[in-house]
Amino acid sequence: MNATTTVSLVGVGGQGILLAAAILAETAAAEGLDVKASEVKGMAQRGGSVLSTVRFGDKVWSPVARYADVVVATEALEGRRALGMLAPRGTLVCAATTRIIPGSVLRHEDAYPDDLAAAAAARGVRLLAVDAEGLAREAGTLRAVNVALLGAASTVLPFSQESWLRGLAAAVPAKILEVNERAFALGRESVGEEDVQ
Amino acid sequence: MERTLFFSGNEAIAHGAARAGAGFACGYPGTPSTEILETAARLEGIHAEWCINEKVALETAVGASLAGVRSIVTMKHVGLNVAADPFMTLSLTGVNAGLVVVSADDPGMHSSQNEQDNRNYARFAKVPMLEPSDSQEAYDFLAEAFALSEEFDTPVLLRTTTRVSHGRGRVVPRVPVQLEPREYVRDISKYVMVPQYARVRNRLVLERLQALRRRSEQSSLNVLEAGTADFGIIASGVAYAYAREAFPKAWSLKLGMSNPLPYAKIARLYEQVSRVAVVEELDPFIEEQVRALGLPVIGKEAIPADGELDQDAVVRALEPFVTRKAPRRRRPVFPLAPHITSPPEPPAGLPVRPPVLCPGCTHRSVYTAMRRHKLAPMGDIGCYTLGALPPLLALDSCLCMGSSIGMMAGFNKALGRKGAAAVIGDSTFFHSGITALIDAYYNEAPGLVMVLDNRTSAMTGHQGHPGTGVRADRSQGPSVDIQRLCEGIGVRCATVDANDYPALDAAIKAEVDAVGLGVIVALAPCVLTRRDKAGEIVVDEERCNLCGLCIDIGCPAIAPGETAVEITDACTGCALCVEVCRRGALVCADDGSGDGA
Repeated sequence: MNATTTVSLVGVGGQGILLAAAILAETAAAEGLDVKASEVKGMAQRGGSVLSTVRFGDKVWSPVARYADVVVATEALEGRRALGMLAPRGTLVCAATTRIIPGSVLRHEDAYPDDLAAAAAARGVRLLAVDAEGLAREAGTLRAVNVALLGAASTVLPFSQESWLRGLAAAVPAKILEVNERAFALGRESVGEEDVQ
Repeated sequence: MERTLFFSGNEAIAHGAARAGAGFACGYPGTPSTEILETAARLEGIHAEWCINEKVALETAVGASLAGVRSIVTMKHVGLNVAADPFMTLSLTGVNAGLVVVSADDPGMHSSQNEQDNRNYARFAKVPMLEPSDSQEAYDFLAEAFALSEEFDTPVLLRTTTRVSHGRGRVVPRVPVQLEPREYVRDISKYVMVPQYARVRNRLVLERLQALRRRSEQSSLNVLEAGTADFGIIASGVAYAYAREAFPKAWSLKLGMSNPLPYAKIARLYEQVSRVAVVEELDPFIEEQVRALGLPVIGKEAIPADGELDQDAVVRALEPFVTRKAPRRRRPVFPLAPHITSPPEPPAGLPVRPPVLCPGCTHRSVYTAMRRHKLAPMGDIGCYTLGALPPLLALDSCLCMGSSIGMMAGFNKALGRKGAAAVIGDSTFFHSGITALIDAYYNEAPGLVMVLDNRTSAMTGHQGHPGTGVRADRSQGPSVDIQRLCEGIGVRCATVDANDYPALDAAIKAEVDAVGLGVIVALAPCVLTRRDKAGEIVVDEERCNLCGLCIDIGCPAIAPGETAVEITDACTGCALCVEVCRRGALVCADDGSGDGA
């Protein structure tokens, strides 16, 4: 990895992408690292795609990067779309069971893609396909899909469990902290040893 | 013998516009521009009106241009600051019939608060600029300006200064220009400047600038005039007249089209002489561009950068430089055509997620009702701009904040009937719609103005505004009632519950059929500020025949299934789909308790 690591978070407006990015940024800060983040959110509430980028390292200059080392996708189509922004040998952590159907698919003008695993393999990136909805439901709220995915992503990011918990506490409102901590733990446990090399 | 007239520059502009077939003129008074419109108001065949301010004037002229009528809008230099918002984006949309913006600048500040050099606006907006140097040119350049506007699909800036506008001179009238009619053609990718369309238009503007530069090279407005001295002058506008008189033996490059500059013609001047001066009032507008070609030039180190020039001032300024030893001649370095980036392509075949109106959004009911009437809806900026996109296709234009009402007024005035309506949000209405409404009332423009009042600035994240009285710290201040405001102006106004589709439909129908100007406030709080669900919609699968009427309202919560439509979890229960269904296949369950049972 470069001295600076880039994580991009993608999804659909309303999925908590910005909160997940805030947790990640706080976690990196808790590790004593420099952090820069940027986001495109103007249309976020209107069902558009959302992209947030968090970069961390000893010293970070640019807030954006063309390619990400890790992409966290809270929706399967957005994860498929984000393959193009992954660096070679990068990792896509994707809510593979979460499908938010775009209008053009509802109207039968487009087909929802079904080739996530094959496309990831073709591009040579590692795919962590996570049933984030199932994990979030188990934790207590469907809204925690974002944090369950972060839990899965934590297995490929160089932060201690303690820093993650500090990051969660710093970014998540107190009254929903507990359910999010559960979702994070479930996400982290869901990734098997064989998945993390 | 030729008939000749003796016109001020401003009179010549008005007559030149009429001769070029302009049918619509508007503006806001300001020295030295005022007499253009006063003259136009006395001419046959051209409708002239004073507007409430320069921004509304430009938007009104845009509306008239869209309706197919050549239009001219006039203002003084500082007025273009007021009109800068529509002006900058008009460069992207272009025009239908030709549109000329006249900026009359005031070097020396005879009657102005500053002496800004509006030639910079032409470069800023990447539009062509013509600068007449006397009354004859002021008259002749209007036909050139309108032709350029239509050929290159761009507004044209015609820039004068006090001495051109208020100077008088002989004008030989010309044969009137014969025009083909230009029908209005709906084209949202050209006139609705949401980001996805504006990015494409912006690249066209960059290409247009290159094409305009080639035209500038060939144009007879830019003339290289031979002299006998080893000295050349580049000048435009009245400064050219001063320079010619000051140095009659000099070579001169006379720029009638001063944006974009003709680089090759400038280089040709340097082939003839060893010393070149740029004579221009105010900013080193031409000089800096000549220097950027790598050419030595005498400019603002000699010519004053403030106030007016005259021939004596030019002689005094340049004489010491003319007698000096010539600098070593250099070859120009032409800048390459700018690299135009292409946007990153999404992976082929993946469906995109354009932003859409939310499920339950009350704008959708307004658009569904308005669609039933054949009015070109001039749009504005806010969430409701999203209604321009498929499948609703509910707006024809989006230029800048507050532009809808002025564009509707100009469109309808040019047509002489209610051809367009205006759609504007509550926050945008307060931003800059009120002035345009007052103007439409004052100028007796017919039309229907829909104020989509969702009680917040929704698109930017639910900020307060004067209509709600909610302030930045969320404290409650006094608020302005839109209906009473409209009635205070004198405009007929009705407020309708935007969730009551039959009432809304009836109100719109009544207003479309009514004479003159009317406002309908479609009132309902933004659905995102409501947590509760209004009710449950149930599909009667026996009755649904997948006709698509409910799909066409563009609700993200409605999907066509195999044999009947399906209502997804995103549904808020607004029941607009129930209203549009003709087969009774969509039904409101009794309450919002869940399964409707």
